[in-house]
Amino acid sequence: MEETIFKRWSRGLTIAGAIVLFLLPLIGIPGKTYLTLTIAGLAMGMLLFLVASGVSVIFGLMDVLNFAHGALFAWGAYVGFTVLGYLMKWVEADSVLQNFAAFSLAIVAAMVVVSLVGIVLERVIVRRVYGSHLFQILITFGATIVLVELIRVFWGPNDEVMTVPLTFSKSWDIMDIIINRYRIICIAVGLVVYSVIQLILKKTKLGMIVRAGVEDSDMVQAMGYNIFLLFTGVFAAGAALAALGGLTMSLFTLQVYADMGGTYLLFAFIVVIIGGLGSVTGSLVGALIVGLTYNYVAYLVPWAAAGANIMIMIIILLIRPTGLFPVGK
Amino acid sequence: MAEATPVQIFHMEEKRRQYRSGGFFLKVGLLALFVLVPFLFPSFKTVDLAMQIIIFATLVASFDILLGYTGILSFGHGMFFGIGAYCVAFLVGKYGAPSYANLALGFVIAALVASALALVISFLSLRVKAIFFAMITLALAELAIVLATKLSGFTGGEDGISLNMPGILAVSFNAGNFLGLEITGRILTYYFILLACLGLFLAMLRFTHSPLGRVLQAIRDNVERAEALGYKTFVFQAISITFGCVVAALVGGLYGMWVGYVNPESCLGVLSIMLAILLMCIIGGMGTLYGGIVGAAFFMITETFLPDLQHLAKDFFPSAVLLHNVLERWHLVLGVLFILVVIFFPKGIIGSVRESIDRRK
Repeated sequence: MEETIFKRWSRGLTIAGAIVLFLLPLIGIPGKTYLTLTIAGLAMGMLLFLVASGVSVIFGLMDVLNFAHGALFAWGAYVGFTVLGYLMKWVEADSVLQNFAAFSLAIVAAMVVVSLVGIVLERVIVRRVYGSHLFQILITFGATIVLVELIRVFWGPNDEVMTVPLTFSKSWDIMDIIINRYRIICIAVGLVVYSVIQLILKKTKLGMIVRAGVEDSDMVQAMGYNIFLLFTGVFAAGAALAALGGLTMSLFTLQVYADMGGTYLLFAFIVVIIGGLGSVTGSLVGALIVGLTYNYVAYLVPWAAAGANIMIMIIILLIRPTGLFPVGK
Repeated sequence: MAEATPVQIFHMEEKRRQYRSGGFFLKVGLLALFVLVPFLFPSFKTVDLAMQIIIFATLVASFDILLGYTGILSFGHGMFFGIGAYCVAFLVGKYGAPSYANLALGFVIAALVASALALVISFLSLRVKAIFFAMITLALAELAIVLATKLSGFTGGEDGISLNMPGILAVSFNAGNFLGLEITGRILTYYFILLACLGLFLAMLRFTHSPLGRVLQAIRDNVERAEALGYKTFVFQAISITFGCVVAALVGGLYGMWVGYVNPESCLGVLSIMLAILLMCIIGGMGTLYGGIVGAAFFMITETFLPDLQHLAKDFFPSAVLLHNVLERWHLVLGVLFILVVIFFPKGIIGSVRESIDRRK
């Protein structure tokens, strides 16, 4: 009884906190800028969600903290960059259809290639260190060094400029509020991915097995399911999410560079700590909080932008050490 | 006197063997080598290399207290190193005149700041899971770089701060010739840092071999059992983290003294300093303290002579393209080496050598 009251109370607290967070910046920001910033923040949050959900799901099911996620993220950006480079005609065409085809092809290619990299990673090195967090971090950190250097070998050491499909880069002007189209696409992609993940996890048999595996992997194995195959699959899916995040993020920031994974891995960690390691909904909420805060603070106090998220993380850790949406374990 | 327990007998035997074993002579020989380096190879490059090895060996040993003896991975060790370097730089560079008192005060402040920060981080992260420590320290380390770069009025920004050494440690100091060596402020700084690092290293050895160190190893090997035995694991872990981080900050101050210049990239960088520490610790062997010396020596020597090696390879094997590519992408090789060491020799060079010696006995 006590627990349910506490739960209800904490949910109310979360919602109230979210509303306050949403409205607080109105004090210092004019209304129209606020809306633009909010959309930018939501878009950034959705992109961070793509990265963070991969970390979270892999941790939730496999109990593996994947430090190589950032490198996979950069790989996704680079593969997408190459594909968009080949499809330059479509990218530069002033046609929504062709732009969209190029965008989708780049996404598919990035996800496929990076999930293959993820499978190799899981089979060759991560599998050897199940059960020991310390060695998982060490070995995936080693994998990061190798993957980032491989990017420099394959794509050269220089930073590259990403070309956004032409019609995506335009803006809508609704009542003097300027809305960048690509930001809306980012929000849409994030929502679609969230729904797909939730659908797969909640409605399919595969998702049921995965959720059961999160609860008790030994029992799932005893029921006759090949948990290691499942692990490989989830790792590949996590890698594909990293790739999607990397590509969409690099189209957002218009640049690709070999070390880009590190920065966003950091954001992903902040997001999963805020949201609760292992929870997909937590990742979404955490990512939106981080994205919005980053944009508001960057507008109000530019130099404090990086610190604000870490402060939020610390506050959340003080109040709820397991994050907003803890996963029972 | 009551009959000696097996543990006491073991300790007595160990003590008897202590000053006669090959390992002891190896350590003394190594120390003698470092003492004699300025006399044997007075060139700037070799003295600098020896100093870097000494400084990083001590730094890696302090990292090893966290990683190897407590089982906690910190990505913020480079940050503590940088905090130390900056504290000393503030006191004898930017905000104070070069005097011995300011120098000492810089180290005291470095230790205080480092211990306070380490306590806060351990309080925040260890409540949940030990792996949170890795994530939070990574986040804070990135924040530290951003702050050091952005708050340029306070920290000097990207340009960093130059340090001026007082009295006999100053670059301009010259005490004449001794055994064919110009005794400059630089050489005296070398010996001062060598002495300080030796002291820190001995303190760390004492720490890990104390009853406290044993408890830490017990916690590392099995948290639940240590808890069941009645040890407050949180307190012990926090003590060990604080100790390691304070040592790192002091070493950072020494590093600042040696290079005479601190900036965010060279002192705080996650990718520059932290990566180096981690590689050195893993390759040398974690949970040994001495692994730091081997790892630092390996890393620093290859780093220093790599350009020469590349030239050699181009001069002598102009057709071996593969060899050139491997040497060009040295970090790739290090990364692969790192993974292989973690998988096949998790105890590193020192641990594996010790194991094989034990087996032969």
